[in-house]
Amino acid sequence: MTEITPDQLLLLHSTFDIRHSAFPLAFSFITPAFAIIGLLAVSIPIIIHLLNRRRYKEQQWAAMQFLLAAMRKNRRRLKFEQWILLATRCALVALLGLALARPLGCADSAIGRLAGRSAAMHVIVIDNSYSMAYQADRPDAPTHLDQARKLARQLVDGLSSGGDSVVLITASQPATAVIAKPSYDLVGVLASIDRVSQRMVGTDLAGALAIAEQLAREEAGQPNRTLHLFSDATTSAWRNGQEKALETLGQQLAEQYAIRHYNLSLPSQSNAAVLDVSPGSNLVRTRFANDFRAVVRSYGASVESGVLWKLGDETLPGGSAITIDQQTPPITQSNAQLRAGGSAVVSAQIVADDRLKVDNARYHAIEVASEMKLLIVEGRRGMSQMDGSGAFLELALAPPTLDTQPGRTTTSYLKPERISDIELAGKVLGEYRAILLADVAQLAAPVADQLAAYVKQGGTVVWFQGDQVQREAYNGILVPRGLLPGPLTQRQSGAGYAFNFSPTGNNHPLLNAFKGVDRSGLETAQVFTYWQIAPKEDLRVENVLTFQSTSASAADPAMTLHRLGEGKVVFFASSADAEWTSFPAKPAYVTLMHEIVAGTVAGSERFMNLTVGQRIEIPTTRELGGVPTLHNADTNADEPLVQVTRSDGSAVYQSPPMEKPGVFRLNAGKVSWPVAVNVPADEADVRPLSDEAIRTALGNVEVATLGAELPGEAESEEEGRDFGWALMAIVLALLGFECFMAMRFGHYRKGAAATK
Amino acid sequence: MADSLTDYRRYLDPRTLAKISSLELRARLIVEGVMTGSHRSPYQGISVEFAQHRPYTPGDDIRHVDWKVLARADKVYLKQYQEETNLQLILVVDASESMGFGSIDVGGMPWTKYDHAISLAASLAYMAVHQADSVGLAIFDQQLSRYFKPSNSPTQWKLITSELQQVPRWNKTGIGKVLDQIAEKVTHRSVVVLLSDCFDDLDAIKKGLRHLRYKKHEVILMQIFDEQEVNFPFEDVTLFKGLEELGQLLTEPRALRDGYLEQLNEFTDQLKKLCRGMNIDYQRFVTNEPLDVSLSQFLANRSASMR
Repeated sequence: MTEITPDQLLLLHSTFDIRHSAFPLAFSFITPAFAIIGLLAVSIPIIIHLLNRRRYKEQQWAAMQFLLAAMRKNRRRLKFEQWILLATRCALVALLGLALARPLGCADSAIGRLAGRSAAMHVIVIDNSYSMAYQADRPDAPTHLDQARKLARQLVDGLSSGGDSVVLITASQPATAVIAKPSYDLVGVLASIDRVSQRMVGTDLAGALAIAEQLAREEAGQPNRTLHLFSDATTSAWRNGQEKALETLGQQLAEQYAIRHYNLSLPSQSNAAVLDVSPGSNLVRTRFANDFRAVVRSYGASVESGVLWKLGDETLPGGSAITIDQQTPPITQSNAQLRAGGSAVVSAQIVADDRLKVDNARYHAIEVASEMKLLIVEGRRGMSQMDGSGAFLELALAPPTLDTQPGRTTTSYLKPERISDIELAGKVLGEYRAILLADVAQLAAPVADQLAAYVKQGGTVVWFQGDQVQREAYNGILVPRGLLPGPLTQRQSGAGYAFNFSPTGNNHPLLNAFKGVDRSGLETAQVFTYWQIAPKEDLRVENVLTFQSTSASAADPAMTLHRLGEGKVVFFASSADAEWTSFPAKPAYVTLMHEIVAGTVAGSERFMNLTVGQRIEIPTTRELGGVPTLHNADTNADEPLVQVTRSDGSAVYQSPPMEKPGVFRLNAGKVSWPVAVNVPADEADVRPLSDEAIRTALGNVEVATLGAELPGEAESEEEGRDFGWALMAIVLALLGFECFMAMRFGHYRKGAAATK
Repeated sequence: MADSLTDYRRYLDPRTLAKISSLELRARLIVEGVMTGSHRSPYQGISVEFAQHRPYTPGDDIRHVDWKVLARADKVYLKQYQEETNLQLILVVDASESMGFGSIDVGGMPWTKYDHAISLAASLAYMAVHQADSVGLAIFDQQLSRYFKPSNSPTQWKLITSELQQVPRWNKTGIGKVLDQIAEKVTHRSVVVLLSDCFDDLDAIKKGLRHLRYKKHEVILMQIFDEQEVNFPFEDVTLFKGLEELGQLLTEPRALRDGYLEQLNEFTDQLKKLCRGMNIDYQRFVTNEPLDVSLSQFLANRSASMR
C-alpha cells in the first residue's frame, strides 16, 4: 500500500488546482487546514447521533399499543427524516469548514464569476528611489512617485474588501516591507501607500523582489498572487550590477506570481548630473596648488551648461558653458590655492535646469593639510641623531633646508616625530597620518591591537626590518591582526640583491615617479639582507617592488602594499637605514619615501563625505571637545550623536541615517567639521529601458508590461474568485433548512399539546 | 363564599386526595364538592324519574322548562322529577396492569389511573347509597376477579370502599369477556358504570358493551387517562417498556409524538362513536384534573341528556 506523508497530504489539499485542465472550474484553498478540519468534523454529528442512541431514559408505558401503531405507521418517514437531518448536519459542518478554508475558483470559470468575490494576494512594489522624483508634470501627479502612489491607490480601491490582501514593499535602498504580511485592511493599505516617501537614495529592486519571493514561499496557501511593480524602468535601476540576481529572482517570481510592471517613465526623459567631485590627489595642502575634479554626465539628451565651482561660499573661477553628454571628460578646477588648513567643502553644480534637480550639485568635504604629522618608531636607538634605525627616514621625509629661515628647519609639509618603540604605547595614534616602524623587535598585543585599529580607521603603517626584528613575535602577534602581508619565513643574506625595476617596465603606481627616469638609484641599490615573507592570499597583497630572482631565491617581494580596513600597510623587506642595504644612500630613497606617504596616506575626511542613507560615524582617532552634535538646518537645532559599540568593541559616535543631500555641520566642542551628503551617483541614468529589456532583465519570463495607467475592467477581472462567501451563504441556508426540518419533524422541543 | 369554595376545591385535586388514605373520606369530599358547586341534588343526575309538570313561576330555574309543551300549548310548564328508588348501580372497575400507570408523583407515590378510578367509584357509590339505591361492585383484569352483588344495606358502601382499596394483581386486561360475564350475572335492569382506560381490543369492548345493552342495562363508560398519556411530553430518546406484556420500543419521542397522539385520538374517537351508537354515556377523565369538576360535568351532561 502506498503511504501518503502529511506533507503530501497538505500539498494535495493546498494545491488542488486544475485550472489548466479542461475542467471549467478549479479550486484551491487559502487556508486548507479548515477544509481538512471541516471534513473531519463531519463525523461529529454522526458521533452525537450514535451517542444519543446509546444514552436513553426508560419509561414504563401503558398506552403501548398506540405507540407501537404510530411507530409501525411512521417508521419509514421517521427514518427518512433522521437520515436527511443527519445528512444536513454533516453537510453543514463540512461546508462551514470549506467556507472558512476560502476555496478559490479560477478566473475563466463562469461558475466562479457567479459565485465568488475576488480573493488574491497583491504584492505592490513601489520604487521610491531618487530617480522617481523626476518631474513628469502629469495632472495631479507631478513626479513619477506621485503617479506610482496614485496608481497603487486606484489598484487598492478596486480590490475586494475582505477577499483581497495586500503587501507593500518599497524598492529604495534598502528595500523595505512596509506591510510585511498580507493585510486585508485596505483602508490601512491606502494610508501606507500615502506614506511612501520620496527618498534620495538608489534603487534596490533585487532586494524588493527578494522580499516578494520570500513572501510567496511563506504564503504558499494563497494560490492567486499578483506582483505589481511600479518603477520608472531606468537604466540605473535595472542595470546596476544586480542583473544576475534580478534574472534569477524574475524566474522564481514568475512561478509564484502573475507579474505586472507599470512603466512610469517618459519616452524621452533625460537627466544631467554631477557624479563626482574630488581632489586631484590624496592630500589637499596649503603650500601647493591643488586640483579638483568633477565628473558630469547627461543621460539622454546632451545639455549646454556651465559648471559652477565653489569652495565654501566662495565661487571659484571658471564655469564657462560646455556640452554635457555621456562622454564628457572630467572637468578640472586647477590651481586652487588654499590659504589655511582645516576643513572646507568644495562643490560643483550644473547651472542648467532639468527635471531631476537633486543630482545637479555635488559636494565634497576636504581637510586641508598645512602640515602632516608622521610618527617614526625606532627599535634601535643610538647615541647620536643618526644612530637610530629611523634616522634616515626622518631625513628623507623632512630634509633640512640649507637656507634655514628662522623657526623653520625644513620646507617639507611632512612633520615626522621620532620615538622609541617603548614610547609607542603612550601615543595617541590618531594624531598622525602615518606610522613608520623601523627595526622594531616586537609589539605587545595591546599595542598591536591599537595599531590595527588605527589602520582600520584609515591610518597608514610602514614596516622596515633590521637585526632587532623577532620573527616569532612578528608572526605570532602582527600576522593574525593583518598588520603584516604574511609570516616572515627566512632571513636572506648575500653579496647583494638588486631590485627588479625597469624605468620602462610595467611598474606599480607607487613607483610612477620613477617612470622613465634613468639611474634613479632603484635599479642600482644593493640589498645585503632581507626577510622573506609568504604573503597571505586573503589579504590581496600587491607587490610594489620585488628582488631580482637568483639561483638561490626566486623574485621575493621587496616592498608590498595591502589594505586593512580603511587603511594601508606597507612592508619593506629590508632596513630603513644602511645596515642591510645601500638604498638609503641613493637619491631615490627620498623620493620613494615621499611617494609612499603621498600614495598611501588617505585624506582623513572620509567620515565627512557620505551618501544619503549612510550614518555619520566619527573615527575614534579624532579628538573631540565634547559630545558631537549635528546641526539640523530645518529645525535650527543641534541633535546629539549617539554613542554605539561596534562589533570590535570600540565605541563610536553615530548619527541616524542621513536622509537628505546637502552640507551639514558637525560640532564637537571646540572642533567642528562640515559633512557633505550626496545622492548616489549610480542612480542618475534615467534613460528608460524598453518593456522587452525589462522582460529580459527578469529572465525572459512572462511579464504584463503596462504603462502609467491601470488596465481596464476586463483585465482586472482575471482574479481568483473566492467561494468562501457563497459557501457561507449556503451554510446559512442549510442552517435555516435544518431548523425548519427539525421543527417540522418534531425534533425540537415545543409546548405540550393535549389530545382532543 | 367564593373563597370558601375555592379553598374547598383545593382539597379535591388528585394530589391532595391522594394524601387522604381513607377512600370513604375521599369519596365524601368529592361528593360534597359536587354538591357545593351545584346547589342541586347530586343524586338527581345519576338516577332520576319524571314525576309531573307544574306551572312556571318567576324565579324558577328555566333549565327545567318543558320546551316541548311550550311549543305545543304555548304554556310554560316545568318538569318535576322524582328520585328513583329501586335502581341498581353496578360499578365495574378495571384493575389491569395498565391502570397501575401514574405519572403524578405525590410524596414518592404515584397517583395512578386506578387511584383515580376507585375514587370515582367510591364517590358514585356514596351518592347512590345516599339515595337508597343498591350498589354493586365488580373488579376485573383479564377476568372478573371480585364481584359483589348490589345491595342497599347501610354496610354496602363500607364493603365497597374496603374492596376497592385492596391492591390489585396487575394482570392483563380482558374487558370484553368480563362485560359478558357481568351481563350474565346481573339479571335486574341496572346502571352499569365501567371505569377503565379501555386499553384493549376495541371489538372485544364493543362486544361486551353490546351484550350489556342487550340485557337492557344502562351503561356509562368512564375512560380514565393519565396526564402523560394525553400529552406525551417526552423529549429525550426513551425506551418505552410496555405494560401488559406489550414489548418495548426505543425511540425519539419528539418525532413520534404526533403519530402517537393521532393513534390515541383515533382510538378514543372510535370508542366515543361506538358509545353513541349504543346510547352509552361516555366521559373522559384525566388524572391531573380535579375529580369533582369532572364528575359534576358528567352529571350535568347526563342530566341534560335525560331531559
